[in-house]
Amino acid sequence: MEEKRIGVYICWCGSNIAKMIDVGRIAKETQKFSNVVMARDYKYMCSDPGQETLISDIKKYKLNRIVVAACSPRLHEPTFRKALEQAGMNPYLFQMANIREQDSWVHIDREYATLKALSLIKAAVSRVYHHKPLEKRSVEVNPATLIIGGGISGISAALEIANAGKQVYLVEKSDALGGITARLDLSFPFLESVRQMLKPKIQQVQAHKLIDVFLNPTFEDITGYVGNFKSKIRQNGPEKELLFGNIIVATGLQAFNPEVIPEYGYGKLPDVITSLEMEEMLMRGNVITSNGKEPENIAIIHCVGSRNSKYHPYCSRTCCSTALKYANQLRSMLPDSNIYELYADMRTFGKGCEEFYSDSSRRKILFLMFDQEEGLPNISKAPQNDSSEMIINMHEKLSGEEIEIPADMVILMTAMEAQNDAKDIARLTGISLCSNDFYIEKHPKLDPVATTTDGVYIVGTCQSPKDIVESIAQAKAAAARVLASIAVVNMEVEVTTAHVNEDVCCGCQTCIMVCPYTAIHFDEEKKVSVVNEALCKGCGTCGSTCPTGAIESRHFTDIQILSQIEGLLKSEKESI
Amino acid sequence: MAFEPTIISFLCNWCSYTGADLAGTSRIPYAPNLRTIRIMCSGRIEPTFVLKAFREGADGVLMCGCHPGDCHYHEGNYKCLRRYHLLQKYLQQMGIKKERVRLEWISASEGKQFAALANEFTETIRQLGPCKIKGVMETLT
Ligand SMILES: Cc1cc2nc3c(=O)[nH]c(=O)nc-3n(C[C@H](O)[C@H](O)[C@H](O)COP(=O)(O)OP(=O)(O)OC[C@H]3O[C@@H](n4cnc5c(N)ncnc54)[C@H](O)[C@@H]3O)c2cc1C
Ligand code: SF4
Ligand code: SF4
Ligand code: SF4
Ligand code: FES
Repeated sequence: MEEKRIGVYICWCGSNIAKMIDVGRIAKETQKFSNVVMARDYKYMCSDPGQETLISDIKKYKLNRIVVAACSPRLHEPTFRKALEQAGMNPYLFQMANIREQDSWVHIDREYATLKALSLIKAAVSRVYHHKPLEKRSVEVNPATLIIGGGISGISAALEIANAGKQVYLVEKSDALGGITARLDLSFPFLESVRQMLKPKIQQVQAHKLIDVFLNPTFEDITGYVGNFKSKIRQNGPEKELLFGNIIVATGLQAFNPEVIPEYGYGKLPDVITSLEMEEMLMRGNVITSNGKEPENIAIIHCVGSRNSKYHPYCSRTCCSTALKYANQLRSMLPDSNIYELYADMRTFGKGCEEFYSDSSRRKILFLMFDQEEGLPNISKAPQNDSSEMIINMHEKLSGEEIEIPADMVILMTAMEAQNDAKDIARLTGISLCSNDFYIEKHPKLDPVATTTDGVYIVGTCQSPKDIVESIAQAKAAAARVLASIAVVNMEVEVTTAHVNEDVCCGCQTCIMVCPYTAIHFDEEKKVSVVNEALCKGCGTCGSTCPTGAIESRHFTDIQILSQIEGLLKSEKESI
Repeated sequence: MAFEPTIISFLCNWCSYTGADLAGTSRIPYAPNLRTIRIMCSGRIEPTFVLKAFREGADGVLMCGCHPGDCHYHEGNYKCLRRYHLLQKYLQQMGIKKERVRLEWISASEGKQFAALANEFTETIRQLGPCKIKGVMETLT
């Protein structure tokens, strides 16, 4: 057997790690572990010079196993695996110890943090000793793409991909394309017509030879993996099998139902309406109250269901600018009306939006501030002989006064929330939800449109509230990712799959019962189970269920995990 | 010196390990007694891993997976849950209190909850005192 020569690299991460962990002492202690040939600490292991040190050490000291103690493997494992490959090593002969996210950033006692780091490194060293080289596997990428959701995000991604000459299947659950965007009149901050922008896009989609649109279809389970997904779809007619290599989820948002906020009386007071109902009126071109009159006093209330611990904790991001949009449109349509904006904070981020705000404040619009923590404005029906229909009572924050505002129409800037069926789509495509039911990206900064499932992307408002510009930017980013994967033709896939040792398997077929992907079948001739590695996703469930120990979960083998446990519990006694 | 428990935790990659990372990026401090092993899914946790941890001197074992219905591989966490009940019985027969092993669901966005769990479980194990099974095994063999 080859001699194991392990190199250990301890990263300072500037001061992120070094401040809480005595990296120099650890390097010294680590040097004493058996089979460790080289242990170094360095300022930034992921930097170019950091990686170059690693590569030149591998060559110089004939290292054949590497441990990097640094940030989370979820961040930089791919970086270091690539460095190993550059040095001519198999990338799987590598293990990371997470001494940043799960050590230096969460502990406040330097001694404990240092001891913990040492034990995590010892475990990584014990584990990497048992690592085996794994051969890369690649699959051909099916050039078709499935897009779920036909709003502006789904439409933009579809056109981008189809215009590059690749097939798109666009699935929309309602009976028309366009999503929320199709229900908008003008767009902030430049007040251009949304319809004029959207309509030609929809027409292009409908006319495109490479885009198959499915409206209101029934849709079966998606099976397979990146490059080779499969599903069945039915849209009034026979069932059709779809094959595709990538998936873009663009299922958008829904509006919050304000009935649950007692102060606003929505559903009881006929002239309290939501922002989407306002859009409808604006599209029709006449703004009138329930008794057919032009409103004299109009109030627009911000943050309805947003930034409030009772409803949604987050900011819905587009409603401030949308509210200003209404104030401006109404000012032009009803020049003599009184317009009140009741806001909690004014968040007009984005190009041109802050200017839009300052312009609006010069257009005879009265801005009044409230504090959600101290209580919401309260809307009630005005007394019979009052000049207005409703009265709003509020505590105005800037003046500190209790005030009364007359109103004939109140527009609620309702929150944007995740779709009711967000969870179903998440399950269908194998992606995760955050605590507010928006989809989680692979990395919040470095990989904002990918997900933890290879080949599945998220774009638009299903990821978080955003405006049209941001939605389109994400859609085009995902389209570029998809086109890049198609251009590669063959794509590398995970090789940490399960494998049955035929000599040990007794043929009980327990593994076949537990595999969630029906990736295992029974070889009747040999009377043993066999894993189809193209279908196996490497969850390891069969490995932990097999009674005879015939199944090896590659890269998570029994011996690898057991020696990691041993390492975790031995370091302290052995070296300190 | 006061007793500081050593706890081995098994965290599934997709939810719980990500949640633990989030506690880190959010800088939420918690007890330094946990030593984590990352597995792809809680369904991979074999009873032998847990037994091994106790035999090597762990005072407690924490297993975390995705919330029911959220497992990246559909149902690995249900399989883990079933095994967990059997495991608790088995540990008791060996003379290890069943409270020393714990299964909890932590999602990728539950950094705060993970930190709270780490503190609470560490405290539970501290109250239980050191696990003696390692010593017992050593005298037996
Ligand atoms: C009142 C209001 C006013 C706004 N005003 C502006 C503005 O002036 N300017 C601006 O830039 N932005 C504005 N926005 C924001 C803008 O509407 C969004 O940024 C945009 O609609 C996001 O598009 P999307 O495609 O991501 O989502 P959506 O528009 O929600 O489209 C999603 C589509 O997916 C479909 N779908 C959902 N679930 C499924 C499923 N399971 N299977 C298949 N299909 C599914 C839906 O039916 C829908 O067609 C406003 C929003 C609101 C609510
Ligand atoms: S964008 Fe404005 S109105 Fe909307 S939730 Fe954020 S602060 Fe409130
Ligand atoms: S569970 Fe193990 S022994 Fe039984 S069929 Fe599967 S591989 Fe063979
Ligand atoms: S590792 Fe998981 S997906 Fe692969 S064969 Fe085993 S049970 Fe099936
Ligand atoms: S992936 Fe988290 S429990 Fe299965």
